[in-house]
Amino acid sequence: MRPTPSSGSARVVATVAMLVAVGAILGILETALVPALPIPGVRLGLANLAVVLALPLVGRAAALRVSVLRILIVAIATGALGGPAFAMALGGAVASWAVMAWLAGRRSVSPIGWSVGGAAAHVTAQLLVACVLTGSAVPALLAPFALLLALGCGLVIGYASRLLLSRLPLVYPEFGTR
Amino acid sequence: MTRGDRIVVAVVAVLAIAAWPLASMATGGDAAVAVISGPYATYRVPLDAARRLDVRGLHGTVTVVVGAGSVRVAESDCRDHLCVERGAIAAAGMAIVCAPNGVTVRIGGRADAPDALIR
Repeated sequence: MRPTPSSGSARVVATVAMLVAVGAILGILETALVPALPIPGVRLGLANLAVVLALPLVGRAAALRVSVLRILIVAIATGALGGPAFAMALGGAVASWAVMAWLAGRRSVSPIGWSVGGAAAHVTAQLLVACVLTGSAVPALLAPFALLLALGCGLVIGYASRLLLSRLPLVYPEFGTR
Repeated sequence: MTRGDRIVVAVVAVLAIAAWPLASMATGGDAAVAVISGPYATYRVPLDAARRLDVRGLHGTVTVVVGAGSVRVAESDCRDHLCVERGAIAAAGMAIVCAPNGVTVRIGGRADAPDALIR
């Protein structure tokens, strides 16, 4: 078994950079090509693929770096930096990472479960941020639709990441290959 | 899919279903009235009245059209136009949100805050 690299090692830095690039490209492509679902903060979540992959490839802490960095890059590229969409994306990303990092530490849950849990946390946090932004509880009314969509999108992204992970050398095998 | 995955999927599905009655309970009120809340004003419009409202939002104007038992956002000065793409809503507990403008539209229920407080 390969020794676990420290967070500053060249291998981790390179892998994080690669995952950030993949996440940013998928995020920009999705913004440009996939029509937005008519609920604030709900989307297919292609970019989340990079974060799901990051957990077994570079570990929890670096996965958070991947998630936040790709959001910054997508926000700069699409001109959303500092706007309400950016606040919602950031809130969603941190919540999603927290849930996925927790699920990744449980033996019985595979990347499919991480992805579904992360997607649900993502939309929940986004709607909460939207509640703050609009100063009302009305966005919470969208929760049932948002959670059902998150379930479907999370399954799609989860199966895709499991497929990819089965073909990649894992640095943190305790998180992967289930 | 592992056992843990099935538990995660079940929990999310239960949350989604449980959020449904909670959402409509929170709305309550009269299903024949649309409540349109912006950062500067709140309007309550009966759904059978044909009306076009220009609501002032944080970024610009959100044009809300009420009529024939439903309400929709026709135009909005925002980036993604998710509020416009949401289309018309007619049932109690349904909502349209334009987060950039801080404008919400929903059917039934009380306004979240009074228009003005008189002391």
